[in-house]
Amino acid sequence: MEIDMKGICKSFGTNQVLRGVNLHLRSGEVQALMGENGAGKSTLMNILTGIHKADAGTIEVDGKPMVFRNNKDAEDHGIAFIHQELNIWPNLSVLENLFPLKRPRTRFGFIDFKKMREIAEAKCKEIGIELPLDEIAGNCSVGQQQMVEITRSLLLDAKVVIMDEPTAALTERETDRLFDVMRQLKAQGVAIIYISHRMEEVFGNCDTITVMRDGQTISSKPVGETTMSQIVKDMVGREISEYYPIRTVTPGEEVFRVEHLTQPGVFQDVSFSVKKGEIFGVAGLMGAGRTEIMRALFGVDPHKSGKVFLHGKEINIKNPLDAIKEGFGFITENRKTEGLILDFSILKNIALPSEKHFANYSCINSEKEYEFCKVLADKLGVKTTDIYQEAKNLSGGNQQKVVIAKWIGMHPSLLILDEPTRGIDVGAKKDIYDLMNELTAQGVSLIMVSSDLPEILGMSDRIMVIHEGRVAGILSRKEASQEKIITLATGGK
Amino acid sequence: MNSAKAKNLLREMGPLIGLIALFAVIALLNDRFISPSNLSNLLRQVSINALISFGMTFVILTGGIDLSVGSILALSSALLASMMTSGMNPELAVIVAAFIGLCLGAVNGIIVAYGKVAPFIATLATMTIYRGATLVYTNGNPISGLTEDPIFHALGQGDIAGIPVPAILMFIAFFILLFILNKTPLGRQTYAVGGNEKVSYIAGIKIDRVKIVAYAITGLLCALAGAVLTARLNSAQPTAGTGYELDAIAAVVLGGTSLAGGKGRISGTLIGALIIGTLNNGLNILNVSSFYQQVVKGIVILLAVLMDRKKS
Amino acid sequence: MLKKLVIACLLGAALVSVSGCGSSDKKEEAAASGEKTMTIGFAVSTQNNPFFVTMAKSVEDAAAKANIDVKIVDAQNDPAKQSNDVTDLIESKVDVLIINPVDSAAISNSVIAANEAKIPVITIDRSADSGDVVTHIASNNVKGGEMAAEYIVKKLGEQAPVAELEGIPGASATRERGEGFHKVADQKLKVLAKQSADFDRTKGLTVAENILQANPDVKAIFAQNDEMALGAIGAAKSASKDILVIGFDGTEDGLKSIQDGEMAATIAQQPDKMGEVAVETAQKIAKGEKVEKSIAVDLKLVEKQ
Repeated sequence: MEIDMKGICKSFGTNQVLRGVNLHLRSGEVQALMGENGAGKSTLMNILTGIHKADAGTIEVDGKPMVFRNNKDAEDHGIAFIHQELNIWPNLSVLENLFPLKRPRTRFGFIDFKKMREIAEAKCKEIGIELPLDEIAGNCSVGQQQMVEITRSLLLDAKVVIMDEPTAALTERETDRLFDVMRQLKAQGVAIIYISHRMEEVFGNCDTITVMRDGQTISSKPVGETTMSQIVKDMVGREISEYYPIRTVTPGEEVFRVEHLTQPGVFQDVSFSVKKGEIFGVAGLMGAGRTEIMRALFGVDPHKSGKVFLHGKEINIKNPLDAIKEGFGFITENRKTEGLILDFSILKNIALPSEKHFANYSCINSEKEYEFCKVLADKLGVKTTDIYQEAKNLSGGNQQKVVIAKWIGMHPSLLILDEPTRGIDVGAKKDIYDLMNELTAQGVSLIMVSSDLPEILGMSDRIMVIHEGRVAGILSRKEASQEKIITLATGGK
Repeated sequence: MNSAKAKNLLREMGPLIGLIALFAVIALLNDRFISPSNLSNLLRQVSINALISFGMTFVILTGGIDLSVGSILALSSALLASMMTSGMNPELAVIVAAFIGLCLGAVNGIIVAYGKVAPFIATLATMTIYRGATLVYTNGNPISGLTEDPIFHALGQGDIAGIPVPAILMFIAFFILLFILNKTPLGRQTYAVGGNEKVSYIAGIKIDRVKIVAYAITGLLCALAGAVLTARLNSAQPTAGTGYELDAIAAVVLGGTSLAGGKGRISGTLIGALIIGTLNNGLNILNVSSFYQQVVKGIVILLAVLMDRKKS
Repeated sequence: MLKKLVIACLLGAALVSVSGCGSSDKKEEAAASGEKTMTIGFAVSTQNNPFFVTMAKSVEDAAAKANIDVKIVDAQNDPAKQSNDVTDLIESKVDVLIINPVDSAAISNSVIAANEAKIPVITIDRSADSGDVVTHIASNNVKGGEMAAEYIVKKLGEQAPVAELEGIPGASATRERGEGFHKVADQKLKVLAKQSADFDRTKGLTVAENILQANPDVKAIFAQNDEMALGAIGAAKSASKDILVIGFDGTEDGLKSIQDGEMAATIAQQPDKMGEVAVETAQKIAKGEKVEKSIAVDLKLVEKQ
């Protein structure tokens, strides 16, 4: 089966995600699809499999124009999408998982388990894998579950299989087996679209590499005609924009140090230090463990071992309250579920961690509270008619400003910002950058986790890159470049 | 005033408008309903459900629910009665019973907070346990002939300046709780925990403590309601309070508090309790057949909730 | 895993100890009085209500006196539990079953099961809708309602204004007591209001308060049980009205209230007598003697002496 996507465009609201993407896939080809987070890879695949509708552009299958109405329609035409989040019914057996809808029937209309088993065993033999058919799927390893999904799509006669970061959760052996299966499929004429950040895997197993950036196809070349550094360049491409303010603050002495912080299976042996007035950037791929490290530092999630020092003195943070008492603030990744109480007014949200500042005799002094919150809201430029408005009615940028105001209000000495500018417009971003600069000038130390490379490079004094739960390297402002960060983040040397 | 504000105001006033409408209809059908003596009678009857519903409001605001209110009322009432029959000073007995209610409620809170048991299940269990304990303690018999103490009797039947004592108690509790919810960090935290537990935790709020306090306040108020009931009947009934949790939840919901937590007002609950009390009283006054009464009550609750849904 | 095991063990131990306490005294009794002649099973609807507590006690006492072994099971007002209870009693091969049904319809299948196991069934207080019952022992509720109405006529004269507090809507006692009361009252009294208070003292109080608000000239209240009557007395007191309150059942609290001069009278059921009659009848059945299809246990009008 041959697929040709041409000039695909797609917007969500005012946000244009795809701007005329082209993609060509031949049968029996393994094509890698690469690009930064947010480049539009997933959206493109969702359009191919009928989950989203394209605003413009054409899809041709074997030369005939085709639009799939939904996921099921695409599956019926032989295109299967194996998502990062696997589609497994954990309480059913592997065999039942292989036949989710159309199960063979006996003459009397009962499910014919014997026939099901025969079909499944034949298919497994064909692609050279073994599946524990009677095991409960939830008890299988992630690798096995993935095989179940692949087998399932092949049972539906898939001619094209899309895999979204299939190796992210696999062990090395499982990964090797996956590639064996991929080669089998290729030999049978199945085409594979392989979305991944891992350079070595891509170069070792794919025929073609297509790179996307900012909703466009940048390059599409056979593996033999390109190099790792070329791909990185293609992925990053753009220059760092002007709007990052010039950093004038010179970081002072070390105030915060982490030694060998470990939570098995999540992050290992993380050590770093942050100086007074420094912006310490943390980069890495999604799922590398950046957020988890920050949550552990703030006491939201546990950690098994490791030491944390503040001003040279060891501190023990067991919960967020401890962290707040030590003068930490934490702007969480997801403002809607962890940053704001949406039904609360702006005022009440800002006041939340700082109540002791305006409560006397365990009674809230409303005037003091209003004053306090109003000053903060104004300082951050929260655009609103009054601060008694509910937070849920604010735009994303304004919501984020409220979250930041809430933590600035408690006068932190160390502020952790997890993706502080995700999903907000350029103007609000600029306001937040200016504020970060101002805070560091006042001596506040900032740790900023971000997936936006230009932002990390533009704002940070030093950058720590996390790869699979470990510190892959700490770069100074001078030595850091997008290429270096990407190389470290994808496990290159 | 812009339309959003007007809408908001309408939502806030919705239950009150409903109550006034209900009053008007019943009064039109039978003028005895609005006689001063019946109004004072109405307040007296409402006060027990209102006290329980105030507590329920706290718990529901934290995102929980308390099914054990009726059982706490019964158990504390039985203990109160036996303390008095064994010769304890009645006023002191009421204070001790209130403390027992507080502890029974705190147990609920501890199970929910530290045991991480879903509030519905936790209080379903304690509802059964407390009720069982009451029956074991009383052997299934009412405890009566408690005391001749006039102050204790006034708690149930007395008036001050024409206002029934239970109603005065209800208003005092109302204003204290109104103050706690709106003016103290504890109240703010109660809303915050129900609004978003994760956010509250990250903001350094002691979530477990807030929950335990909410359930403990409910237990205390149930015991007070139990004391009023005991004083009114001058006896303790082992089956007292059966089904009260439903009346209390209905009052809270009628008052516009969200069962999902984080949103609502105690003033709404007061109005909700008044609506339910008015319905009970009014349907009796109108001599409506008991078969129809249940249908009417159900319809009113449904209408109120549907209207609330529409507005939002 | 270990945790679960420990919990299971604890639960088991708790159950054993609870059941142990419950039966120990009976065993001792049995040992003291030698061989038992027969076994009666008594399925009581609830022990949550003094009336049934007295009934169960009298069955126990009467059986002890006659040297009969008795197994008492309490359905806690749950028809489903009662159905299991009766199955258990059938399994333990009792000679005669005395059932005090939670629900007349729901018990029918259990009665049929007993019929199949050839165990004679006696119903007490409440009847069973179907199945073969040797005899039904009950107070004559209709007659009791009439007695109450006639008592009011005797005390206040004809056409006195009265109100009626009804029991749980639809319950047989509510129906029968109401029927008897209205048989007389519709002719000789003026019934101004009739409202349900679910046989509950608290509700009796509030409903009576409301009725008195709506009908200030009510002179007498007939409550279909003593609990509601006691509530009505509270309402009359707080309205400072002198009202003739008549209850039904003759519970301990009710009788005490009559002695205190608060309740005017009650139509007393005699649960102790019902229990005794049930045990006597069971003995007769076991001996193969014939018994009446229905045995009415007398009601007694109790006034202050």
